[in-house]
Amino acid sequence: MNPIVSGLLVGVLFGFVLQRGRFCMNSAFRDIILGQDFTLFKALAAAILVSMIGFSIMAMTGIVTLAPKPLMWGANLVGGLVFGMGMVLAGGCASGITYRAGEGMMGALMAVLGFGLSAMMAATGVLNPILKSLQNTKIMTADDKPLTLANMVGVDLKAAMLVLAILIVVVWVVLAMRSRSSVPSFGQKPKSFGEAVFKRGWGWLPTGIVVGLIGMLSFPLSAAAGRNYPLGITGGWVNIFQSLIKWQAVVEEKVKITALNWEGAEVLGIILGALVAALIAGEFAIRAPEPKLLLQTFLGGLLMGFGAVTSSGCNIGHILSGVPQLSLGSILGGISIILGGWFMAYFMFIRPMQDVGASVPGEAASHAAD
Amino acid sequence: MTQVMTPTKTIDERGKICPYPDVDTMTTLKRMKKGEILEVLIDYPLSVERIPRNAQKGGHKVLQVQQLDGPNHSILIEVLGLK
Repeated sequence: MNPIVSGLLVGVLFGFVLQRGRFCMNSAFRDIILGQDFTLFKALAAAILVSMIGFSIMAMTGIVTLAPKPLMWGANLVGGLVFGMGMVLAGGCASGITYRAGEGMMGALMAVLGFGLSAMMAATGVLNPILKSLQNTKIMTADDKPLTLANMVGVDLKAAMLVLAILIVVVWVVLAMRSRSSVPSFGQKPKSFGEAVFKRGWGWLPTGIVVGLIGMLSFPLSAAAGRNYPLGITGGWVNIFQSLIKWQAVVEEKVKITALNWEGAEVLGIILGALVAALIAGEFAIRAPEPKLLLQTFLGGLLMGFGAVTSSGCNIGHILSGVPQLSLGSILGGISIILGGWFMAYFMFIRPMQDVGASVPGEAASHAAD
Repeated sequence: MTQVMTPTKTIDERGKICPYPDVDTMTTLKRMKKGEILEVLIDYPLSVERIPRNAQKGGHKVLQVQQLDGPNHSILIEVLGLK
């Protein structure tokens, strides 16, 4: 299949599901410490587990060759932390700002522009020396393979992925059955399957499973286009901006930066898919926050772009695609993203909220007395 | 049971980025008195679903989630604050 068509196809599906499931990792991680809400985190966990099982089976049957990212601890750590702090400022992760741009949110569009600009600055621009020195911390196995949880303990990667995923699923199901809690729902039940799919927000489980399935679908399609990796965002944005900006250099000097590639097409597809989903559901509108917040999302995007390219992956490349392959680099990159996000969320949202609670002493108590 | 649902206070969170609508709602609820009704105007799909969830978790009563035009919603929350 033509790489552009195949990338667009996967992107449109992904964007559609991201919009319907309101799937955003910035929210998934932040909601854990801000309101102890695990809804989106559960969707993410389900997506990772589906991908892990799917990648493993596809690798066993020879459909794909696993491609865990190498560990570059300095870059994974610093890039991840910077990315994590940036995504809180930007109000969305790399996939979050991309799909929300398709919903018509101008704050997300500003974040995307900042992301693209600093991603280019890190990839081929003025920030490249910092990237190079941070990436100079690469550690490989003795036979020059990327470090994974599997080869650390000397077991087969495919088998380890399958066993680990099934184990986690079993423990999760058991725990979930023990603590059944009713989910409150508001408004009327959807009248038809179509309404549930196209008009209403999806629950965390269908969202997670379908995201995981799209991750599976993306792997062989992307590999057929010469990019042996599942879903990604960062490389796609770099590709889009570079193919637009360096086009003349490509033509004249035969620079080895090609025009739009699979990942670039995938990113464009995400915007398109989210746009279509939002239009059908009546959730599309061009809207913007106050100027101060626009600046904030732009700055957040700048941090994210540098962080993602330096760390060699964003929340999608590392957490959704890399963690299922048990890559140590992706696991470190992912943890750093979460910690960077929590650090920023604490100062921006949690402390201010606690101050409000403290400034009205005795009020909660008087309420209880009523 | 029919209730007169006149909001005591309305906050307009349309256009804001994640998670300001949620944080503003929660801090406003903390400042209000029991029995008062807060109306949240909101156009951000994730928060339309998350604000009622969190308000209920905080011990408040969600009276109504109504779609206005396009992505715009009105959420009515009665302040109870029983944690």
